[in-house]
Amino acid sequence: MTESIFYKEIYNVGIIEIDQPDSKVNTLTTELMKEFEGVIEGISRSKIEGLIITSRKKDVFIAGADIKEIEGITNFVEARSKSKEGQAILNKLENLSVPTLAAINGAALGGGLELALACRYRIAASSEKTKLGLPEVALGIIPGFGGTKRLAKLVGIMKALDMILPGKALSYRDALRAGLVDKVVYEKLLLEEALAFIKDINAKKWLRRPKRKKLLNLFLENTAPGRAILFSKAKKNVLKNTKGYYPAPLIALDVIRRCRRLNLKDSLDVESTEFAKLAITGISKNLIKVFYLSQEYKKLTGVEGKPIKPLIIGKCAVLGAGVMGGGIAQLVSFHNIPVKMKDLNYDAIGKGLLSAYKVYKGAVSKRILNKNEAALRMGLISGATTYNGFKKVDIVIEAVVENLDIKKKVFKEVSGVVSDNTILASNTSALSVTEMSKAARNPRNVIGMHFFNPVHRMPLIEIIKGEYTSEETVATTVEFSKRLGKIPIIVNDTRGFLVNRILLPYINEAAIMLEEGISVEAIDRSAEVFGMPMGPLTLIDEIGIDIGYKVAKILEEAFGERMRVSQIFDLANKNGLYGKKTGKGFYVHRKKKRIVNSEINGLLGQIKSKNVKSHTGEDTIKDRLFLLMINEASRCLQEGVCLRPSDVDVGMIFGTGFPPFRGGLLRYADKVGIQKIAEKLSIFSKDHGEKYTPSKLILELAKSGKGFYNS
Amino acid sequence: MSRVAIVEGIRTPFIKARTLFKDIPAQELGRIVTRELLDKTELDPDLVDEVIFGNVSQPPEAANIARVISIMSGISIRKIACTVHRNCASGIESVTSAYEKLICNYAEVIIAGGTESMSNIPLLYPKEFAEFLAGLNRAKKGPGRIKAMLRFRLSFFKPIIGVMLGLTDPTCGLNMGQTAEVLAREFGISRRAQDEFALLSHKRAIASRDKLKEEIVPVLPPPKYGILVDKDNGPRDNQTLETLGKLPPYFDRQSGTVTVGNSCSLTDGAVAVLVMKEEKAKELGYKPLGYIRSYAYAGLEPSRMGLGPAYAIPLALKRASLKFNEIQLLEINEAFAAQIIACEAALSSKDFAYTNFGLDKPIGSVNREILNVNGGAIALGHPVGSTGTRLILTLLKEMARKNINLGLVSLCVGGGQGAAIILER
Repeated sequence: MTESIFYKEIYNVGIIEIDQPDSKVNTLTTELMKEFEGVIEGISRSKIEGLIITSRKKDVFIAGADIKEIEGITNFVEARSKSKEGQAILNKLENLSVPTLAAINGAALGGGLELALACRYRIAASSEKTKLGLPEVALGIIPGFGGTKRLAKLVGIMKALDMILPGKALSYRDALRAGLVDKVVYEKLLLEEALAFIKDINAKKWLRRPKRKKLLNLFLENTAPGRAILFSKAKKNVLKNTKGYYPAPLIALDVIRRCRRLNLKDSLDVESTEFAKLAITGISKNLIKVFYLSQEYKKLTGVEGKPIKPLIIGKCAVLGAGVMGGGIAQLVSFHNIPVKMKDLNYDAIGKGLLSAYKVYKGAVSKRILNKNEAALRMGLISGATTYNGFKKVDIVIEAVVENLDIKKKVFKEVSGVVSDNTILASNTSALSVTEMSKAARNPRNVIGMHFFNPVHRMPLIEIIKGEYTSEETVATTVEFSKRLGKIPIIVNDTRGFLVNRILLPYINEAAIMLEEGISVEAIDRSAEVFGMPMGPLTLIDEIGIDIGYKVAKILEEAFGERMRVSQIFDLANKNGLYGKKTGKGFYVHRKKKRIVNSEINGLLGQIKSKNVKSHTGEDTIKDRLFLLMINEASRCLQEGVCLRPSDVDVGMIFGTGFPPFRGGLLRYADKVGIQKIAEKLSIFSKDHGEKYTPSKLILELAKSGKGFYNS
Repeated sequence: MSRVAIVEGIRTPFIKARTLFKDIPAQELGRIVTRELLDKTELDPDLVDEVIFGNVSQPPEAANIARVISIMSGISIRKIACTVHRNCASGIESVTSAYEKLICNYAEVIIAGGTESMSNIPLLYPKEFAEFLAGLNRAKKGPGRIKAMLRFRLSFFKPIIGVMLGLTDPTCGLNMGQTAEVLAREFGISRRAQDEFALLSHKRAIASRDKLKEEIVPVLPPPKYGILVDKDNGPRDNQTLETLGKLPPYFDRQSGTVTVGNSCSLTDGAVAVLVMKEEKAKELGYKPLGYIRSYAYAGLEPSRMGLGPAYAIPLALKRASLKFNEIQLLEINEAFAAQIIACEAALSSKDFAYTNFGLDKPIGSVNREILNVNGGAIALGHPVGSTGTRLILTLLKEMARKNINLGLVSLCVGGGQGAAIILER
């Protein structure tokens, strides 16, 4: 066994330093916990005056429990005993007779914070890296080492709910304010201050001042009607945010409520039982897998295994100041990179600047940035109608109108201005990057960088390799995307790339079902019940029907009959019903409400009704929507648009909001079973055409009894 | 000795205070021109050694405004920046200060300029109010606090207008308009002569609209970004002697001649120029607008500050070994029509030349055909810290258009100084 816990004594004070070997962070593995237990038992027999627990890792105290271990848990008994063992060890820590102090020098998350909570005192480094939280719900579980009880006891029910239900971590400032830590000190003085702190405690010079609570808090936490309001409000909030698909926050809420009046021992029993129930759910397993995926894709280089060094982007230009151009300029400037935004006229530039300004205003009101930081970043965007200043930019991101001829013209034009090494990226959502690159002076520098709207919020970026795109270009663009905080997926240059090619048929099919007589609400509801953040018809209203129509047309041209654009799309587009931006689409959009647009019924009347007998059951609607997606995704895989099923899942989760608790589109397919999917597809294909004919890949997988992930 | 080149320059439109640019602070105006200058010249920001800006009102939230501008423009934080203040000549001071650093080889590439937002000069509260607040703070509770509160006076809320304070001479107590009246009286300059001069300024500025556009970067003012501002809004299309004549004297209501119509107005705007030695410009492949030949600053009575150019010009000419009549193009800042007419009179006076410079001939007469040919501050406005650089830029661009070699810029300076700089191509 390699050692992770190092114990020493200074001035008669014991110091435990945690330093897990071969790892950047400390995680509470079973092995580490056992070692920790041994040290604590040793201490209980020694004659020290106090104990300090800290970490030797940079910027990390303890990052949490070992997720791999949690993932590996298969049954309830195992899960509960894991939790119980951890609880028992932390109880031993809590029961030490000497003052115990966690000296937190960075992230103290999950089990890490639970360990700190079992100490009598906590001091934290006043560093931006210091984060204290119990984020377990993000993995579909609740804290299992006594965190629910101890946190609520220390900071009050209200604050505990506020932290645990959304899995929110506190900064050192907020932690001090909440009473979660007793003191904050400079990181470099942490140990020195910790020793002095122990000394003060023993000399009775330091007493924890009870936090004065506001009257409202006293009412909400300390009276029965107050608590009733508090818990019901919290529950409503959770349901609003999770739509009921994520059980963990609700269970956490319930555990905190039930344990309020129980003693520690009983509380811990409740906690470990509920933890164990959650830890073995498929939802938790899926969320863990999605977490791993996001971690893995954030590390992609795009040139895996090759010694290609990406260039650092120092200056950027954006062509086109529309919704996407303005959003991209904002994103780039947010990361402190100067960006030039060019458009044909100042009217357009003004709109682009305004949209960036609004995002910054939002960031200030959410306290992500202060006013000066926001002004500095806003100032990094400069608008222009000329190519002045383009010679020195490292990357140009084109976001002009989605029209191949115009894009080619723009690429040719900008090629004449920029330097030989400048990367030319297109934010096209469907057009051929290879075609565009032919118009450029140096096609090797041309690449696709497909951002999703709203740019500052959507985590995904599709990187599209054209036929001539060099690996250096890929490496630099991937690195740049990661610097912008995006999760990249790398796809090949076919129409619609990956995400739109899967998403558009789904939206189109929703419109076709509408033509068949199924109501707007029924269609959207079935997708929402499945867990999508919004139904397909609401989504297209948000995106803009004109934009969706354009992409759908490109796909129809490329893939023919199976992507034939629905007539109602065509009519809505012709009639200027573009969705939210014009106030009317499939819905009429008012300030806060939206109602189904009756004009759509009029338009539907113009369409000759087809002789299709539609099943209007929620399940059938759902299957028609999502099986179509799966079928198209399998075609993408078999054609090599992307290489791995996880590319599809990352793309759909982070690009379209596909529900993470389902683990991703193809993970969902595997769960349902490919054979079943193939059967259902074949049935649909009889009534609704070849788009439902199972792909070669699906047939193969069905035949061999495999899934996308274990093929 | 090698020459120092003004490579290129750019400015925002000059906008009357409290109008279109009222929500743009001076540092942001400076940021706009600096960034545009970098783009226009395709200069690698890493090559800029220092940013020097002139600024008079020194916004409290942007101390050393040049540094703020430098960082906001994306220039490396390792580079340096300083703000210079010589009142109305701050925009000349930034350029001559760059000259000195370049000649000393303490820098190779400098962005010099000026920025001013007269819209954003704050109102000040009386000192008594500050003392009241401090007292209130000190008295924690009880009777002491009540006593402190009772010291409140409504007059605390009567603000001191920062702009007016800035435009009042701290040693003689006259405001700038009153110093112009001093000169009008001394030289006997009529109201009509002043109004005619003002009219000329507007006419020329209007006629030069397209020419001036060459030195202007259009601005979309926040927070709406909805209006494109691409020209100065001071010049009046329909200015006439009649309308000018109707304005009451502003600074001396009884016998005065100086009106808001024949004075420059409070203005917002920024200018930046790229300065480096001739060899460096060649190395980087630039064709500079022109070169600095010589410059001079001179002092005089604060109450006659408007006459500053008449004192500084002879000195600059002497340093350049030039005669006044060799100068082919002139920009003398129009703080007040009275002041500039007084300069004309002094420069052509034998007496003035003898008394002040021991010369037996007058410095020279000013030919209005070569003076402020694109209009001046009476029409375009005078953002105090920026004007000096603007005059250099406007003069150099006009010299190129006319293909002439020698030009001179001069300003009167509040507090009793004059500035003059001679430029050549």
